[in-house]
Amino acid sequence: MSDMTQKIPQKSRVRLFLDSDIFYAFKRSPVAVASTIVVSILILSALFAPLIAPTNPFDPASLNLMNGFTGPMAPNAFTGETFLLGTDDQGRDVFSTILYGMRVSLFVGVAAVLFAMVLGITLGLISGYVGGWTETIIMRTADVQLTFPSILVAMLIFGVAKGFTPVEYRDQMAIWVLIVAIGLSDWVQFARVVRGATLVEKRKEYVEAARLIGRTPFAIMLRHILPNVLSPVLVIATISLALAIIAEATLSFLGVGAPPTQPSLGTLIRIGQGFLFSGEWWILLFPAVTLLALALSVNLLGDWLRDALNPRLR
Amino acid sequence: MLRKLSYVALFAGLASSAYAEEFTWAVTTDPQTMDPHAVNSAPVLGFLNNVYEGLVRRGQDMAIEPALATSWEPIGEGEGWRFNLREGVIFQDGAAFTAQDVLFSYERASSEEADTSSWFAPVSDVIVVDDFTVDIMTTSPNPIFPDSIANWMIMDSDWATANDAARPDKESGNYATLNTNGTGAFAITNREPGLRTVLEPHTGWWGEATHNITRAELTPIQNPATALAALLSGDVDFINPVPVQDVARLQNDPNVNVIQGIEARVIMLGFPHEADALKYSAETTDANPFADPLVRRAVAHAINVPAILQTTMRGNAEAVNQLVSPAMRGYADGLSKDAAYDPDAARTLLAEAGYPDGFSFGLKCPNDRYLNDEAVCQAITGMLAQVGMRATLDAMPVQNYWPELRADNYDMYLLGWSPGTFDAEHPVRFLAATPNEEKRLGSWNFGGYSNARVDELLPLIQSEIDESKRQAMLDEVAQTLQDEMAYVPLYVQPLIWGTRANIELVQRPDNFFILRWVTVN
Amino acid sequence: MLAYIIRRVAQSALVLLIVGLAAFSMFRFVGDPIDNMLGQERTAADIERLREQLGLDQSFPVQYFKFLEGAVQGNFGVSYRQGRPVADILMERAPATLELAAVSGVLAILLGIAFGVFTAIRRDGFVANFIMSASLIGVSLPTFLIGILLIYVFSVELGWLPSFGRGETVQIGSWSTGFLTATGLKALVLPSITLGLYQMTLIMRLVRSEMLEVLRQDYIRFARARGLRDRTVNFRHALKNTMVPVITVIGLQLGAIIAFAIITETVFQWPGVGLLFINAVQFVDIPVMAAYLMLISVMFVGINLIVDMLYFFIDPRLRVDRSGGH
Repeated sequence: MSDMTQKIPQKSRVRLFLDSDIFYAFKRSPVAVASTIVVSILILSALFAPLIAPTNPFDPASLNLMNGFTGPMAPNAFTGETFLLGTDDQGRDVFSTILYGMRVSLFVGVAAVLFAMVLGITLGLISGYVGGWTETIIMRTADVQLTFPSILVAMLIFGVAKGFTPVEYRDQMAIWVLIVAIGLSDWVQFARVVRGATLVEKRKEYVEAARLIGRTPFAIMLRHILPNVLSPVLVIATISLALAIIAEATLSFLGVGAPPTQPSLGTLIRIGQGFLFSGEWWILLFPAVTLLALALSVNLLGDWLRDALNPRLR
Repeated sequence: MLRKLSYVALFAGLASSAYAEEFTWAVTTDPQTMDPHAVNSAPVLGFLNNVYEGLVRRGQDMAIEPALATSWEPIGEGEGWRFNLREGVIFQDGAAFTAQDVLFSYERASSEEADTSSWFAPVSDVIVVDDFTVDIMTTSPNPIFPDSIANWMIMDSDWATANDAARPDKESGNYATLNTNGTGAFAITNREPGLRTVLEPHTGWWGEATHNITRAELTPIQNPATALAALLSGDVDFINPVPVQDVARLQNDPNVNVIQGIEARVIMLGFPHEADALKYSAETTDANPFADPLVRRAVAHAINVPAILQTTMRGNAEAVNQLVSPAMRGYADGLSKDAAYDPDAARTLLAEAGYPDGFSFGLKCPNDRYLNDEAVCQAITGMLAQVGMRATLDAMPVQNYWPELRADNYDMYLLGWSPGTFDAEHPVRFLAATPNEEKRLGSWNFGGYSNARVDELLPLIQSEIDESKRQAMLDEVAQTLQDEMAYVPLYVQPLIWGTRANIELVQRPDNFFILRWVTVN
Repeated sequence: MLAYIIRRVAQSALVLLIVGLAAFSMFRFVGDPIDNMLGQERTAADIERLREQLGLDQSFPVQYFKFLEGAVQGNFGVSYRQGRPVADILMERAPATLELAAVSGVLAILLGIAFGVFTAIRRDGFVANFIMSASLIGVSLPTFLIGILLIYVFSVELGWLPSFGRGETVQIGSWSTGFLTATGLKALVLPSITLGLYQMTLIMRLVRSEMLEVLRQDYIRFARARGLRDRTVNFRHALKNTMVPVITVIGLQLGAIIAFAIITETVFQWPGVGLLFINAVQFVDIPVMAAYLMLISVMFVGINLIVDMLYFFIDPRLRVDRSGGH
């Protein structure tokens, strides 16, 4: 790729991208285009939530409890106010809450996966390539890590962090704890797969060749082995992003998720499921559909990306 | 093959008994022990009331009625109480009930290993007069003593001794943790902790059975939605509690009934009376506004209790102006609700107290202890913010909550109190009296509220035999607590039970489920 | 090979020790067991006394050492909540979780591999694309919600399946099984779908992705060129070579199934060790929590060991690597 850029300097980078095989394939795939549109809309509306949302659901002083349980597009019996997607049990506008909640969910998800990926790939590569005691220590640590279900990791970190965080930072703390907890429980997957693939790759001729021409182990890992193990990593990362968002939701079911005063999509679903039987379907349905749309389109996009980025599959 | 055969036999047995009156019910918390003296908690005592009996018991209206004692009268000028025991009562293992069992159960329930020993704090001695007469002597006149021992359950002394369970064992358990031998209407035939507990009628029970149950099974279901689904699908006949939001739906379903009542539990807000400064404030770090009654009154005015009742509790709870509900003995009738919702009054009071711009603080709240506790705290946070009291809500599971309160880690907290004696004296003793370890006073008064007059009245209330004098003193305490806003009482929690339509039962206000009042149609 | 196994077992023992330590240090943050053991009329003195009886007033290293001492002898102490030996309680509850995990695991592996191969071979087919998309919906919602939705549809609305519990069980020795009764089998359906759905999707996607890669490789092209039948190529050559990462993930997921059983068991009130653990967390039943963690540690370490050994048999190139020693 880099060689090509040098040969054709007159073309701009944008032009280059638009002419590339990947973009061509992208244009031809309706699923990819649709997913991209959905993901973009969701991410943008989450980013610009304060501009789009009619109310700020994170401001307790602005809430009126008497607005609680208002149906979508139906005026409230006491206050006469109308809400696009109705209100929840606290009288919060569901539409605004979803926008703000999506910010929390996306932030937790992306940060957790990045954290897990960097940690997992680094440790996986090192243990697969270097071997010996380094490998033993890393992989045994991974065993210990795996032994702790993510729920427990989250509880542990939560408890410890709570002891050290002043109360005014606790709401923010919950988010960082979630990121670390979900990231920590995910890195092992990356490390195991990367290590497994590295063990196979490093026996192959091209790695031997690179070693013979005097490349440093670091360069070999980064330039030669890493690109070749990216395919399984991408599969896991794809699911991991959606999964991290869902893991946060699961943790909130067990009471260690985002706080209800600053809810994520997961917290909203946890709260909403309490109203599944009572007929206030909108409190559950809208956040659930948003989460589904987000996770599903991220997954579909990842699927397509994986196929498109893999030259051997073209 | 043999296993299969035995299974077929088992199944056949089940199939044939399916027409008998079987009853299955689900609760949130499995009773943690079958030992009636080991843990003084509502799930344990409530359940064991079906298996064991006390000298007295509470009827459908909570009134004290004869059980293992047929009658009782005060001795002399309040030196104690004489109980005349019922003759011909047998335990579920066939042994006869005598005064020795009462003495043994007193020793067992008041022992250091027991969790029920505080019931017997006023008792100086228990004397067996004859096989069917027992005198319980008290250190001072104690008019409500019979009321206070309704949950003191009598155990067979020979059975307990023979099985090495003469004392309860909370730490490692003993025979009585899993096995029972009471005189009650039902005997436990199978106990699998956390899974199921099976009961069958005690054939030798002294009373006349008003139920038609041949077999009953208790199963814990923690997730409220799952419990509700189990009731709706007919997998269980009765659940307690029904989530408040689902009441309306159940009322519209012809297959189920909802039984509602007002529970004994009052939900209130507590304050750090003794603290020098707020712990969780961003700016008010050198003062404690809540030490000022004006600020506490402002809190009361700021909270829109009717809105909480209407929305969060769906009209299933009642506002209250003191620490006990109207159903309790000693409720102060004349007390006015003088701190109604009035945000302007709250702002004025705050300004008067020197906080015209309000202040920030930390509100602690459990999220799995009371009905909708977290949602209520969220609503309170919003309402307080509207008058300038900016709370940071910290909601947590109850196992973290009590240690936090004990360590004084709060600026304001939510508390629910259900008087075990069904008497207004109970919250005064635990919540309003100045904490005193030796006298077992104020053990739940986390904030250290202290009022000399209240402390002076409490022992007088405890020993006053004259009903109207006693009430006058209770009224005075209630008025004092309200004037000082020691706590801000919010509402009385509702009892909401759900049954299948073919079940008839009686809901007792203390949330105890009494199996012998159940009819399966 | 033997030396390798011995080394791994020694490492595993170390892992267990560390898990025990980590688990134990965690309990200080879970809460205080005392409040659940005493009623509302307890005093500060009662609290102190009970704390002393339970040994909670002792220093952390002392408590940990005592726990290890007992654990080595198979004695995990007595549950604070139930007042019974923890080992007994775990033995009672383990069959429920293991049966649920086994059914979900088998379901996930069989369907996952079958769908994975199918969607790889019929890469552009309508059915394959449909399976790929539909499976994603299942993993794009949190487990607890899927469980509750399944209960809502199949128990409440349709009334086909039980909403909670295990149904009737048959006792075989110390093992209680739900496989032998109609109600037991019915009760397994919803929880095992809930639990296995995510793993099935993961395995399916991984198999598909690996299959696609392998199918493009030269030796497969050669095989086809030699005129081998598609079925032989697909299954004997291609599938076998996709198995290294797939087995890694299956091994990992077996553990994840046990861990995720916590959620499923809570939603369905399934009387297994996951529910026991959640109860233990709620009541700060430290001995039960510690024993549960040790139990799943042993299981995970065992699974890891087996996965590593399977590598040997499936990918011969690794044997050279290993026996070369480090």
